[in-house]
Amino acid sequence: MADDAAVTEHVHFVFDGHRIESSSKTSLLQAWAAAGLPLTENVGCMGQGVCGACRVLVRRKGERLAGTALACETLPEEGMQVSFLDHFPARRPHAYDLHALTDSWTAIDEIDKVFPEAKNCRHCSGCDRACPKGIEVQRMVNLAAVGQAFAAAELFDHCVMCNLCVAACPEHIDPAHLGQFVRRMAASLTLRPSDLIMRLHEIEDGRQVIDPDAPGANPPVAP
Amino acid sequence: MSVAPVSVPHARALEAWRSAAPAAPRACELPVPELLHGFHPDHRPGAMQTLRVGPSAGLPCPAELADLLQADSLVEDVDIAGAPMLDTDVLVIGGGGAGCIAALTAARAGARVLLATKLRIGDSNTVMAEGGIQAAVGAEDSLQRHFEDTLRAGHFAADKALVSALVSDGPDAVRWLIQEGMSFDLTENSQRMGGTLLRKTPGGATAARLLSYRDFTGLELMRAVREATLLQPSIVIMDRHPAMELLTDDRGRCAGAALHDLARGRTVLVRAGATVLATGGSGRLHIAGFPTSNHYGATADGLVLAYRLGAPLREIDSFQYHPTGIAWPHHLEGALVSEAARSSGAFLVNGLGQRFVEELRPRDVVASAILREIAEGRGVERDGSTGVFLDTPSLERAQPGILGRSLVTLTHLAHRAGFDAAAEPFLIRPTLHYQNGGVAIDPSGRTDVPGLLCAGEVVGGLHGRNRMMGNALLELVAFGRRAGAAAAADARGERPRNVGLTHLADWRRALLIQGLSLSRKAPMIFPPYGNFDAATARGKAA
Repeated sequence: MADDAAVTEHVHFVFDGHRIESSSKTSLLQAWAAAGLPLTENVGCMGQGVCGACRVLVRRKGERLAGTALACETLPEEGMQVSFLDHFPARRPHAYDLHALTDSWTAIDEIDKVFPEAKNCRHCSGCDRACPKGIEVQRMVNLAAVGQAFAAAELFDHCVMCNLCVAACPEHIDPAHLGQFVRRMAASLTLRPSDLIMRLHEIEDGRQVIDPDAPGANPPVAP
Repeated sequence: MSVAPVSVPHARALEAWRSAAPAAPRACELPVPELLHGFHPDHRPGAMQTLRVGPSAGLPCPAELADLLQADSLVEDVDIAGAPMLDTDVLVIGGGGAGCIAALTAARAGARVLLATKLRIGDSNTVMAEGGIQAAVGAEDSLQRHFEDTLRAGHFAADKALVSALVSDGPDAVRWLIQEGMSFDLTENSQRMGGTLLRKTPGGATAARLLSYRDFTGLELMRAVREATLLQPSIVIMDRHPAMELLTDDRGRCAGAALHDLARGRTVLVRAGATVLATGGSGRLHIAGFPTSNHYGATADGLVLAYRLGAPLREIDSFQYHPTGIAWPHHLEGALVSEAARSSGAFLVNGLGQRFVEELRPRDVVASAILREIAEGRGVERDGSTGVFLDTPSLERAQPGILGRSLVTLTHLAHRAGFDAAAEPFLIRPTLHYQNGGVAIDPSGRTDVPGLLCAGEVVGGLHGRNRMMGNALLELVAFGRRAGAAAAADARGERPRNVGLTHLADWRRALLIQGLSLSRKAPMIFPPYGNFDAATARGKAA
């Protein structure tokens, strides 16, 4: 292994119009802040890659097309062009009331009722390319459109709600929200753990009363 | 510490590790009280100051936090004179787990709710929680055991009434989350209907009580709760609107807040019958110079606002340092390597290839033992960062396949750091993780200031002086619901009149009497490396 210090190099890249020189070993997000630029949005967990806030468009030197990424997970490269993709609110909210979904026979019909665009998928795979987590977004949309709620829900396990697939979809399907809809539906309609239910019964029947003065609730007394 | 101790260079430490791996077990020879006293960051000499003004004057508090608590307001009367005023029943400040759940609960109780958040709804520590949520559902477990475990882990410093409320809400909180569409892991071959929940044992617990969703429980929770909040009628969401000051009416009630609209660079006032602070923690203060596992917005804003308005604080000198934060590479510094690595059997190894502590001792003990190795020159130095090794290669050799199978997030983290966790150990160092104390509340979430409630990490009294793994997610559900319900009830019939900044005159007088400067302003809103100074950048769109 080479000496670490020797591997550190400085790279030049452009971020939202600002020319930045930075170490190649800090994330794009850290390079932005280290360049003295104000960081008041497009930031959240700063590196864990779970919040989906720091969405960027990235074009590498010599590449024709720009791709999407999370700035906290991406390192700068010489000649890179980067721009933040602002968060935007969903302008076409697919409204539903999960608590009103009580008849599981009609649950699958609800998918089409709430997300009618899902059946219009053009199979352009724009959503798949946009996803920074490598989720098979398009397959999820197609499965949900034919009522395979559990299979669709499983595909969206690693979604961080960055909404890049929402931005990418020309049919306004809102895949991120469709993914959450099938996931939430699957849990709320079918998850019924028996141990939880038994304990809730005990609590309701007054069989789980807390004694605040029990010996274990106080510091041990020195002998 | 004025002179940085000499440490073992990474290449030499790797050789030592390789020749000794797997290293033999070795307990820390220092007794626990001595270890904590000598090396835990809370106990460094000069770490704490005594608060001189406010309702908790006399309490010890880290200097970084005391500077903010004893600062002047960002807002003057002139700033609010012409500002637009919005009206709502309940104002919720903070868009993480506690804030969203409080907003949902208040809205469903019939209140008009305005949820203001500094970044974007969902950006919070909640989404980063990996381990799980505690709820006593096992047949051999009980609410009483959860109650006693929580008190003992917190060194009996917690408020019994709050802990009782917390643990009693546990099972119903899990049912509520499932009703909102959150999934939980089930035991192997368990059916979705009538099966049993997968339970793990959190450190310090006497029963398996930690419920989880893979190793991203907080993300799963936040996904469901954020979607519910976005879809709930009668909740207005204001992203990029940090609170700069709370408002009072002529009876001394909290009457809402002055928000800063970052996009337009202007002040917006919100008049509310009840206000819920759900602003989270303070890891981004980097107390004692530590990196943090916290999200970007964790800057103690809620503590500052509540304290200035007269709400007492408690245990604000107690912080949790998670033993295994990333020390190298720089761009991931402070990020968490889940405790699951150690509970699966990964060792901690110093620069001489030796183990130095039983890895599954409580977090404060393990963190102190790591800091001792570093302080005494047995740490590992790489690119200017010092830490110790977390020996994932030996774990993989002992249990082939474990990294890819059950430590998915960890393996992914190593990949992003640019190495293979099966071939090379992580370089780790304790990271500032959780604020154990906070604003004092009653079991309904109400503070001593009428009209002001709190929920989530900003609250004190639930964890005593050390928090158990899994009680933070439970707290934000239990007290998010409690505070939301109480706020909706308090707001009924309240229409604050003569709303303003009347509390600031007394506050400024108190600062002057104590010889404290009025030029220091708080809350901080963003950490200094965010290049946004709330005191000067106001008025400009950011």
